[in-house]
Amino acid sequence: MATDIEGIKSVTLETIYDTPEGKLIQSCIQCGTCAGACPHGEYMDYPPRRIIKMLQHGLIEKVFETDSMLKCVNCYACMVKCPREIHLTEVILQLVKEQTIIRLPAVPPELQKALENNYRYGNPMGESGRKRANWVTTSSVPVRILSQNPEPVDVLWFVESYPSYHPRGQDTCRALAKILNALEIDFAILGNEEKSAGECGMLSYESGLAEALVDYNMSVFAKYKFNKMITTDPHALDAFNYRYKLYDFGYEAQHAILFIMQYHDRLKPLLKKTLGYSVTYHDSCCLGRHNKFYDEPRQLLQLIPGIKLVEMVHNRLNSICCGGGGGGMWLDTYFKSQNMERLSDIRVKEAIETGADILAVACPYEIPRFEDALKVAGYDKKIAVKDIVELVSESMED
Amino acid sequence: MSKTTGNTRTGFYICHCGTNIAGTVDVEKVVDYVSKLPNVVVAKHYKYMCSDPGQEMIQKDIRDQNLNRLVVAACSPFLHERTFRNVASQAGLNQFFFQMVNTREQNAWVHLDALASTEKAIDLARSAIFRVAFHKPLEQKKVPIHPGVLVVGGGIAGIHASLTLANAGKKVFLVEREPTIGGHMAMFDKTFPTLDCAACILTPKMSSVKNHPNITMWTYSEIESVDGYVGNFKVNVKKKPRYIIEDLCVGCLDCIDACVYKEPRFFDEFNQGLSKRKPVYIPFPQATPQLVVIDPETCIDFKSNKCKKTCVDVCERKAIDLNQQPEHKEIEVGTIIVATGFKPFDASGVPYYGYGVYPNVYTALEVERLINASGPTSGEVVMRDGSRPEKIAIIHCVGSRDKNTNLWCSRVCCLYSLKLAHLLKEHTHADIYNFYIDIRTPGKMMEEFYYRMAEEGTKFIRGRVADIYPDLTDEVHRRLIVKAEDTLISEIIKVPVDMVVLSTGLEPRADANDVRRMFNITCSTEGFFIERHPKLAPVNTFTDGIFLAGCCQGPKDIPDTVAQAGAAAAEALALIDSGFIELEPNTAFVVEVDCSGCKSCVPLCPYSAISYQEDKKKAYINEALCKGCGTCVASCPSGSIKQNLFEDEEIYSEIDGILNYTNIYEVSECC
Ligand SMILES: Cc1cc2nc3c(=O)[nH]c(=O)nc-3n(C[C@H](O)[C@H](O)[C@H](O)COP(=O)(O)OP(=O)(O)OC[C@H]3O[C@@H](n4cnc5c(N)ncnc54)[C@H](O)[C@@H]3O)c2cc1C
Ligand code: SF4
Ligand code: SF4
Repeated sequence: MATDIEGIKSVTLETIYDTPEGKLIQSCIQCGTCAGACPHGEYMDYPPRRIIKMLQHGLIEKVFETDSMLKCVNCYACMVKCPREIHLTEVILQLVKEQTIIRLPAVPPELQKALENNYRYGNPMGESGRKRANWVTTSSVPVRILSQNPEPVDVLWFVESYPSYHPRGQDTCRALAKILNALEIDFAILGNEEKSAGECGMLSYESGLAEALVDYNMSVFAKYKFNKMITTDPHALDAFNYRYKLYDFGYEAQHAILFIMQYHDRLKPLLKKTLGYSVTYHDSCCLGRHNKFYDEPRQLLQLIPGIKLVEMVHNRLNSICCGGGGGGMWLDTYFKSQNMERLSDIRVKEAIETGADILAVACPYEIPRFEDALKVAGYDKKIAVKDIVELVSESMED
Repeated sequence: MSKTTGNTRTGFYICHCGTNIAGTVDVEKVVDYVSKLPNVVVAKHYKYMCSDPGQEMIQKDIRDQNLNRLVVAACSPFLHERTFRNVASQAGLNQFFFQMVNTREQNAWVHLDALASTEKAIDLARSAIFRVAFHKPLEQKKVPIHPGVLVVGGGIAGIHASLTLANAGKKVFLVEREPTIGGHMAMFDKTFPTLDCAACILTPKMSSVKNHPNITMWTYSEIESVDGYVGNFKVNVKKKPRYIIEDLCVGCLDCIDACVYKEPRFFDEFNQGLSKRKPVYIPFPQATPQLVVIDPETCIDFKSNKCKKTCVDVCERKAIDLNQQPEHKEIEVGTIIVATGFKPFDASGVPYYGYGVYPNVYTALEVERLINASGPTSGEVVMRDGSRPEKIAIIHCVGSRDKNTNLWCSRVCCLYSLKLAHLLKEHTHADIYNFYIDIRTPGKMMEEFYYRMAEEGTKFIRGRVADIYPDLTDEVHRRLIVKAEDTLISEIIKVPVDMVVLSTGLEPRADANDVRRMFNITCSTEGFFIERHPKLAPVNTFTDGIFLAGCCQGPKDIPDTVAQAGAAAAEALALIDSGFIELEPNTAFVVEVDCSGCKSCVPLCPYSAISYQEDKKKAYINEALCKGCGTCVASCPSGSIKQNLFEDEEIYSEIDGILNYTNIYEVSECC
């Protein structure tokens, strides 16, 4: 599979036109929907439409010279609206983005640091790998760690870095553990053996790093027997289902919300506590636009007694990215230096506008991003950010 | 191979069709090979066999060489079988001593390998040459054509076709599903490019239809079944009850005033729901016929049987009959024109344009009604909240040119968007922004129309709109922000507007597939009916005697619709005035001596063409009803049913011919 990566490193017009997805760029009608849909389009010298035209004209080197694609947050907004169904986010812009980063005179330090951390510690925040499973000690229910008890398990829960280390992420972990336990699921985690799935390595491109992480995680998976994999991180979900598949990953990873929804009959009687919240749900880009799971998170929220769902102006297919995808998580400083309005700031304004008590999310990037944006806007007392699993777990209390 | 009797002298001709065939098939090699086959007296190739010199060459050979069989390898029989049959009969040969080989569509056009293609051409030629030896002289039966015409759909297409035919003295049945004829055109205020008033040009035609002695107009009616074939169709029509005795109602509308609902409360279909109607209503003031309808879905009496029926009481002419039942009519016609029109794209199919979410987002058809003097606001353009728009965005290509919805260009939206820009400006003096991908204005006077609109100050922004959302910072107006890239200046722009107009595309009707099946015509995957030939037979279908007119065949404007309706009427007239049609003689017949009278074939015939003759104790096939499907032929236990053109030895020798594979290269080497 290494050749595949090599292929990506030497992107030429020929390699683009070699794939069916690449060939599609020939059918672009230059309508500009992609540029208009892009949340950062107004800050790009060359928004997606112009990049496609330049590629059509063979100006590939000129395309690689601009840093426009560094501003792409991999949100799929352009791709779902393109009237020619050109695989912008999935393929074309990825290739351009990687080449952009490879050729940058200096990678923005924040991003550089995150990539290095991922390489060294297996997580972008630079935490010690030995502390990855520390949250387990604070869980109210037992959580099996495979290295300690390598018996075959039904469900392997890939926890991922933000949930493992970030205090609010850990809240989500404890909540999910409680739910799985209550549903009597046979589950386990990899504990300290787990390293970042590498999706951010791939999307904020650094193929070598991605490959190292894929190889590492695949070798850990090979040690154990499990039937299914679940995760609360839509980015990890995409890494497994799209990227790891190229490396013979033989499972269909499932997002925790979809997994829980399968047990909807068993779950319903467990949700005893009425939560009198009005809730607005933020569709994450990967779960929503990329995998088209718009209904399931809403259905799960509606299982909870007393919850009233309200929608933001931009929802479902038209949701606005939190700004964290495609490496955006570590580009806030860079974006600020470019005088760009933070997407999480825009998004929380819409959430506040709904008058909801809770901004519900289903992606670990979003809690820290939205909490910070709310603090900046001075609204952190008015509306709280919660992962859907936290709300489910809250409703399970007597 | 079976033996033929007599002296068979076959002529074989292969056409180059320019380079269509000869570009792939080595026609000389085919001729070389075929000339050595038994019974072949002449074998030739020629550039265009269907041309005059080609036809004359064949006829000369038939006479000079005393040919009694003819095989032509060329295009599809669909295109030229008739041509070459004529060639045979004009040279004095029975036209069924001819067999055609399709070596273009089924060979040259679908293969790249020239050698293999040449071999295939030879195999097909050999097969036809073997078969034709067994052909018998046959006569075509003539059946008279019923002069009546059925027109389905009373939009401008159906109206125009009906009037053309009726003026030519033909009897027309016009069947319209809605309570009034007029179709979409009746909803418009003005029409591009001339901006003449739709009602002024349409209503006179509508009343001509109603009053024409040759037209029977059935509105609120549907076709239930169609049987028969060209010249002789039997059609069942269901007239839905409108609960009004048509002959008694004079359209005074007193019943509407008298209805127990003092205020109109129900969705008014004609006004796109922008106003309300009562359970008893008339779709619009110029509706034709001028008859009210009672809608059983909303009328109290149909629900509870407890209404005071004030409408019944008020009608002095006793025209209201709440117990009216559907009427079923059976008619006979010789030709049918399908003119069922289109359906506008459902704008909520592009969710990010906010239709159905933001009240100030309208569809073009809704705006047509708003502008219309007889519309819900009597022609005043006010929005749902009663305010007048000061800035209006018109979004082109909604549900067109988009793989997520419909890939085709709907052809009329650019022009009607320009028209609406003009009319909205006239009515509101608002700033108008047209967001477009490409402005398409082909056709006479269309570009001039565009020029005029640009001169009027309409702002054109080249970019497909990516998002429409309310401006949360604008507490007072909550204007809608229209976001797009102006691709010509490479800027992302956000235009705040009061009103958004979505120029929705044209789609096939939701029931296009049912209609297609009913009339045994074809439609493309998207659902528009397919014409027999895109250039040369634009109003014919693959079923003889059934023609297409208007938007049911594809999106088009009124001028094109009317032109097509006229063409469909002319095609129908041509058929009717020829008086009769010739049927293919490929019918089945019973060889009575062999028939044991077991009757097993009788119930099998899908066209009820077989009867049992009690006196002779034999089956009998009515030639006029037989369609040549072959079901009985295959099923007869004693093998006593045969079918013209498909007799056993014809089929077996054809198979022999195909299987008698000879490697031509061996042949050419040995020779
Ligand atoms: C918003 C808008 C504005 C337009 N403005 C213009 C303009 O300004 N100028 C212009 O040239 N063109 C304009 N057009 C195009 C114009 O509407 C069409 O060219 C025209 O209406 C086509 O006529 P039609 O008879 O084919 O179809 P329709 O108008 O759709 O009529 C079809 C009729 O058939 C009936 N029907 C359907 N199915 C059945 C059935 N199974 N049995 C019986 N009856 C049936 C329907 O009820 C209807 O009455 C506009 C189109 C739109 C959408
Ligand atoms: S949205 Fe698609 S068709 Fe339109 S400019 Fe972008 S890539 Fe081209
Ligand atoms: S994926 Fe999102 S951020 Fe990237 S170019 Fe497309 S719309 Fe812009």
